[in-house]
Amino acid sequence: MILLNVLEGMMGKHKVSEADKIEANNLMEEVVEILEPCIKCGMCKSLCPVFRVLREEQVSPRGKAIILSEKILDKVVFECTLCKGCEQECPSDVKVCDAILKGREAMVLRGKGLKSDAERVREVWKGGNFFGKRD
Amino acid sequence: MRKDLMKAYETDASQLNGRALDVVHPKTVMEVRSIVAKTQRIVPRGAGTGLAGGCIPLNGLDVVLDLSKLNGIGSFDKERRTIEVGAGVILDDLQICLARNGLEFPINILNHNVCTVGGMIATDVGGSRMVKYGKISNWIKWIDVVDGYGNLHRKGVTELSDYVGMEGITGVIVRVCLKLLPLKKRTASLMKVENSEKVVSIVRDLKRNLNVSMIEFLDKKISVGMGLIEDYHLIVEYEDNSGLLKGREYEELMEMRNRIYSFVVGGSHVRIEDLKIMTDRFVKLITWLESVGIPIFGHIGVGILHPCFNRNQEKYIPEMMKFVKKLGGQISGEYGIGILKINLVDMNDKKILINVKKRTDPLNKFNVGKVI
Repeated sequence: MILLNVLEGMMGKHKVSEADKIEANNLMEEVVEILEPCIKCGMCKSLCPVFRVLREEQVSPRGKAIILSEKILDKVVFECTLCKGCEQECPSDVKVCDAILKGREAMVLRGKGLKSDAERVREVWKGGNFFGKRD
Repeated sequence: MRKDLMKAYETDASQLNGRALDVVHPKTVMEVRSIVAKTQRIVPRGAGTGLAGGCIPLNGLDVVLDLSKLNGIGSFDKERRTIEVGAGVILDDLQICLARNGLEFPINILNHNVCTVGGMIATDVGGSRMVKYGKISNWIKWIDVVDGYGNLHRKGVTELSDYVGMEGITGVIVRVCLKLLPLKKRTASLMKVENSEKVVSIVRDLKRNLNVSMIEFLDKKISVGMGLIEDYHLIVEYEDNSGLLKGREYEELMEMRNRIYSFVVGGSHVRIEDLKIMTDRFVKLITWLESVGIPIFGHIGVGILHPCFNRNQEKYIPEMMKFVKKLGGQISGEYGIGILKINLVDMNDKKILINVKKRTDPLNKFNVGKVI
C-alpha cells in the first residue's frame, strides 16, 4: 500500500493529502537550512559531471541550491548524479546532495515525481529488475 | 527558459540579486549574433564567479546571454604559440589541453577550475603571476566581438582596450586568440617574515629577480588557518631552481595557496575586496586592517591585496576605501566595478568610460547599469 502511494506520488496521480503536504513543507524547511551557508561562489561547478556536460547554470549545484533555497520544486533536482563532487569543492561545506535528496522526496510527496522513476520502481516490483522480467 | 529556473541566473558570487527577463544559451557565434540583433538589453555571463555583480540582470529587463556553451578549443599554432578558444572555455580545461602539447597559458587565478576565458578578459584579470606576466590583456592576440547590431568584428591589439576589462558593457566577446608559453618547470619557497617592514623590503628585492613569477602574501590569521605559525608569510614561485620546494612539495604548496579562498570564505569572510596600492604603502594599510581585525592576503608583488570582511566588518569597507584613496591606491585591482563599486568610480574615469561606451555600443544594449 505504501509502495502504491509512492508510485502514485511519482506519477503525479495520487491526491496529495494534508499530511503529505506538511511533510513536504517540513522537508523544504530542512533543505533551506542545509543550503543556508551557500555563498554562491560557484566552486562546486568545477567537479559537477552534469554541469560539465550540459553547461547550464540551473543544473549546476549552485543553480540547484539557489532554486531549492527559494522552495521551488522543479524537475531540475533530478538532474544530479549525487556524486558529491560539489561537496568536495565547497568552501562552506554545504551538503548539496542531502538537500537534493530531500528536495526529490518533497517533490514525490507533492505528486511531482518523475514518471520514468515510477515506471522503473514498478518494473522492479513486478520482476525484481528494471526490465520487469523474471528471467 | 522557465521563470523559476531563471533564479539561478539572477545572482553570482557577489551574492547580489537581480531579475532577468530571459536566459539564452547560444552554442555558436552565429546564434550569439542573431540573439544580440533581436534583443533590446543583454547581460553577457561567463561562470558567474565575479565578486562585483557584473553579470547580474537588472529590473527584469535584461536577457542573460550565458556563453558557457561556447567552449570549443579551436585551431592551435604550435610554431607561433597561439590558440583560438571560445569565450566559454574554462581555464583549467585549456591548461590541460595545452600541457599535452608542452605549452601553457601563463595567467593563473584562484578559481582557475571554474572561471571562463571570456569572463577573465572582460575583467582583465591578472592573478597570482601578474608580477612577471602582467594582466591577461598582454596575452591576447585578437578577440572576436559581437556589436549591438549583431555584427562580428575582429579586434587586434590596438583596439583591445575598448573591450578588455570593460566588464561586457561594450560588446560580447565570443572568441579569442591567446598567446602561449612553453610549459615551465617551477619551484617555490615559503618565507616566514616577522614584521610588515621586512615584508616590503623582501618584496622589493624579489621583484628585481626576473625568475620570480609569483609573490603571494598571507597575514597572520590566514597563515594560522593554513596550518602555519602565527606570522606573516610569503609564497614565492620561481621559474628556475632557486626555490627550496620542488616537485611534489611545490605542488603541495600551490594546493595550499588554492585553499586560501576556501578557508577565508569558510570562515564567513564572504566579502573580499581587491584594492591596489604601492608596495611602500603596505605597512600603513596592514596596520590599519589589523587594528580592526580584518584578514588579508594577495598578490603583494603587484600591490593587489584582498582584505576579507565578514558581515559584521562590512561597515569598515567605506572607511577602508577612503584610506586606500588617501594612500594613493585604487579601489579595484582585478575584480572589476560591476554594480558593487559603481559609486566609487572616479569622475574623470567615468567620463572616459561613457565615451567608450557611446562609441562601441550606440544602442546602449550591453550590461546597462554596470560600471558607469
